[in-house]
Amino acid sequence: MLRTIRLYLRLLGTHLRASLEYEADFWLMALGAAMTQVAGFVFIAAVFLRVPDINGWTFWTVALLFGMVGFSEGVINLFFEGMWWLADLKHNGELDYLLVRPYPVALQALSSQVGLNGLGNLLTGGALIVAGLVNTDIDWSPATAVVAVLLFLGAMAARVGIMLACNATTFWLEGPTSMFAFAVHQVGDLARYPLAIYPVVLKGLLGVVLPFAFVSFFPVSWLTGEGGTGWLGLLTPLVGVYCVVLAAWVFRRGLTRYESAGN
Amino acid sequence: MALVEARGLTKVFRRPDKAPGLKGALRQLVVRRFTEKVAVDHVDLAIDAGEAVAYVGPNGAGKSTTVKLLSGILVPTAGEVRVGGVEPHRDRIANAHRIGVLFGQRTQLWWDLPVADSLDVLRDMYGIDRATYTRRLKRFDEVLELGEILPSLGRRLSLGQRMRADLAAALIHGPEVVYLDEPTIGLDIAVKDRVRGFLRSLRDEGTTIMLTSHDLRDIEDVCRRLVIIDGGRIIFDGALTALKDEFARERILHVETAADVPLAAVQASLAGATVTAGDSPRRFSVRFNRFAMTAGQVVAALAGHAELVDFHVDEPSIEDVVRRVYSGELMAR
Repeated sequence: MLRTIRLYLRLLGTHLRASLEYEADFWLMALGAAMTQVAGFVFIAAVFLRVPDINGWTFWTVALLFGMVGFSEGVINLFFEGMWWLADLKHNGELDYLLVRPYPVALQALSSQVGLNGLGNLLTGGALIVAGLVNTDIDWSPATAVVAVLLFLGAMAARVGIMLACNATTFWLEGPTSMFAFAVHQVGDLARYPLAIYPVVLKGLLGVVLPFAFVSFFPVSWLTGEGGTGWLGLLTPLVGVYCVVLAAWVFRRGLTRYESAGN
Repeated sequence: MALVEARGLTKVFRRPDKAPGLKGALRQLVVRRFTEKVAVDHVDLAIDAGEAVAYVGPNGAGKSTTVKLLSGILVPTAGEVRVGGVEPHRDRIANAHRIGVLFGQRTQLWWDLPVADSLDVLRDMYGIDRATYTRRLKRFDEVLELGEILPSLGRRLSLGQRMRADLAAALIHGPEVVYLDEPTIGLDIAVKDRVRGFLRSLRDEGTTIMLTSHDLRDIEDVCRRLVIIDGGRIIFDGALTALKDEFARERILHVETAADVPLAAVQASLAGATVTAGDSPRRFSVRFNRFAMTAGQVVAALAGHAELVDFHVDEPSIEDVVRRVYSGELMAR
């Protein structure tokens, strides 16, 4: 396990080094990502200037939702960006060598890119989470802290799992396109707002089909007591594990359909 | 049991059937039609440990697809593969330690890393200890002159340098079985020779080799067994010399005589052979079946007409033979 993680970081590192060669790109990308986050947040801040709360969700609890989604985005960019290149790898037959090496193919593919824009997402997301926690009335105890960390990890795993599973659907498609995963990614952004504002169909979609609500809404709900669905938040670690296992399963099934390229 | 075993190995690709143009593309969205293309068709193959097998065939015959099936990259549509008892696509990690794969058309080096770093990442992945790694690198350096290219970035390598580095990458873990798909493609003569020398030394050490190439010199240099595939089916599997015996029955004897000899007279004395005139009245070429008459008999018959100043025998190259098998002129099996 440790060896697997160490190797993963080493593989990521090989690409990090390459990415860092282009310094200007690096700062621009990080800045661009941060700007996107901030722009979204400025919008919601403007809304809160007019209304005191949305279905009981205050400005700072919504900041927590924004922070969780932004941070999870950053985690994918920095550590699992390769998923967005899976369609290309498949289409160009570049999985060939990965398939004959003694290291899980999914991990080799996931580590095949580093998205330095993730740094902007991590920083802004992290800042929103911290600001949200500081400005929200939470009964902290050691137990709360431990559960909070578990929920956080589960939330990140859920996001990574959902997005990997969606990207792995490329094995069932002919072209080199990640359009499906990209559409799902847009759906994921809905988790920046309280679930309560959505109609029932969307609630079902975000809660069950593509459980993005577990990336932000349910765990934050448990921690802040907002929304009255806190008990569901405790399922977050399970949902996280479920999403990752499901993604691994979809990936493995997809790999058997891999056709390489050329002859 | 053979080290590499394929039974009834079949791979069918399904390709969308698109009429040309936008209209065709739109129709395909509504009515999905597919054509099935059988790339590899019930291939049976058994390779023993230590064998060096050449796998040849015209473009699109199914060579690379077979290699990808044997190495576990593709999952067979039907039939099965076992390498050392392991099904490659089911137990990838165990399989990976056993096999080495090189696709001449594609590199596995990291584009932005120096070659030395790429190799060290692989060392790490395969869990090779430092001492063994250093020993192998030193050996590769001796035969492939790797030393000078180790510090270069992957993307800066020339084709020849890249191929040498890729060979090292494919073999750094000391695999039992090596699949080499066109390892000399696009290389100049000097590098080709070096690569062939390396493959021979590998073979002599007992590594099992499966080599595909369009350059039949590679094959003659390295392999004793030849497998020919065409249209996804194996049409010949046997010793290289057997192929020559079977199909290269013809020999051509070129002679130069001391005095002019009429062509008709020579032809008359050599029933069953074909005599053609050379570029001077004293030169002849005699085409004969070596199982019908011996070169000695031909020489004796010619010596009856005039003294022989010079002669030599042409035997068809393996290249000729294989070309004629491809073109359907010679039916194997």
